[in-house]
Amino acid sequence: MIRLLIPLLVFCLSATAISAQTKLPPVDKSPMDMSYYPNGYPVSKIQDKPTDPLVARVIYSRPQKNGRTVFGDLIEYGKVWRLGANEATEIEFYQNVKISTTKIKKGRYTMYCIPYADKWTFILNKETDTWGSFKYDMKKDVVRMDVPVQKQTEITESFTMAFEKTVTGASLLVAWDDVKISLPVVF
Amino acid sequence: MLINKKVSRGVIYIITLCCFNACKPISNNNAEIRKPVIEAANPYAAVDKSVMDISYFPVNYPLLKMNGTDSNGLAARLIYSRPQKNGRTVFGNDKCIQQYGTYWRLGANEASEIEFFKPVNIKGQKISKGRYIIYCIPYETTWIITLNSNLFSWGLHPDTSKDIAKIEIPVLKTDKSIEVFTMVFQPTATGAGLFMAWDNVTAVLPITFD
Repeated sequence: MIRLLIPLLVFCLSATAISAQTKLPPVDKSPMDMSYYPNGYPVSKIQDKPTDPLVARVIYSRPQKNGRTVFGDLIEYGKVWRLGANEATEIEFYQNVKISTTKIKKGRYTMYCIPYADKWTFILNKETDTWGSFKYDMKKDVVRMDVPVQKQTEITESFTMAFEKTVTGASLLVAWDDVKISLPVVF
Repeated sequence: MLINKKVSRGVIYIITLCCFNACKPISNNNAEIRKPVIEAANPYAAVDKSVMDISYFPVNYPLLKMNGTDSNGLAARLIYSRPQKNGRTVFGNDKCIQQYGTYWRLGANEASEIEFFKPVNIKGQKISKGRYIIYCIPYETTWIITLNSNLFSWGLHPDTSKDIAKIEIPVLKTDKSIEVFTMVFQPTATGAGLFMAWDNVTAVLPITFD
């Protein structure tokens, strides 16, 4: 019994000592990342390389596939998804842009999607600094846009968002598992 | 799949070694700008080895907002990357990751970014609400924390002509070593402390909300 109690006591004491200190956050399982348009803007900036003006930045978390079927299973079709993990995904525009036919004023927005098998509905919303999509309020939507899904043979392990240059501006490319999808942003 | 994993682990190990060897505090070497990665195979954007994170004040503001338990509104938000100690000595003179008296981006990758959603006062210096990058010059007993307006820049070297405020704070040596660089806000009687910890050093930047 004593043999059992001693480790327990040590554990309790060390647990108290740790909790008496500051509780430090562990590294997230789904790490955060950000993508800029123009791509790699911060690096170009410190190298004094000429670049187009800063247009957009997306901040999101990157869950992993981890052997699971993502769309239609882990992420249910027809339900609002935070496009990542943890905090709601954020997109910031540093100039006015257009998504679908809607003018988007420069500023910070949260971003969600409703995935289906063949298309996703992207949503831009005014309520920033929120957690996930649990308190998502449709009344604060700025724009919704349907985009067709492109099925891939190559699997993307970590959820990814990145910008690509297009003739009319840029596309926000979203990829995870066997799905790739591009949201056109016009500017 | 297993072989792929092993091969990619080997590649990552080599990349990591190269990155560490190439790591000098201030130099304009292009090789240094390459991000060390933990998932190199991602064709669109590799997963960073020093992952990004976000800290809010009030602490966990997005969760409070979701639960409807926030009453004070958002005050501050910090975005930074979290390098790991990885068996190295972090602060010191020669052969340390971060040498005394040299510029440090308080993280990794992009310059760390802090945003105040209301005016604040830091050790007598009034700071307007808005967004800044934040960096540090560490010494053995003090850190010089600097707010700078050169937003959206990579954290290799600062444009000191855009410095907004410099604040000297004491550091505390601890027995316990912190593996992953951490910055979190903690409530204080007059506002918040930005608590910073890595290896055996901690420091607190005191922030008062006007």
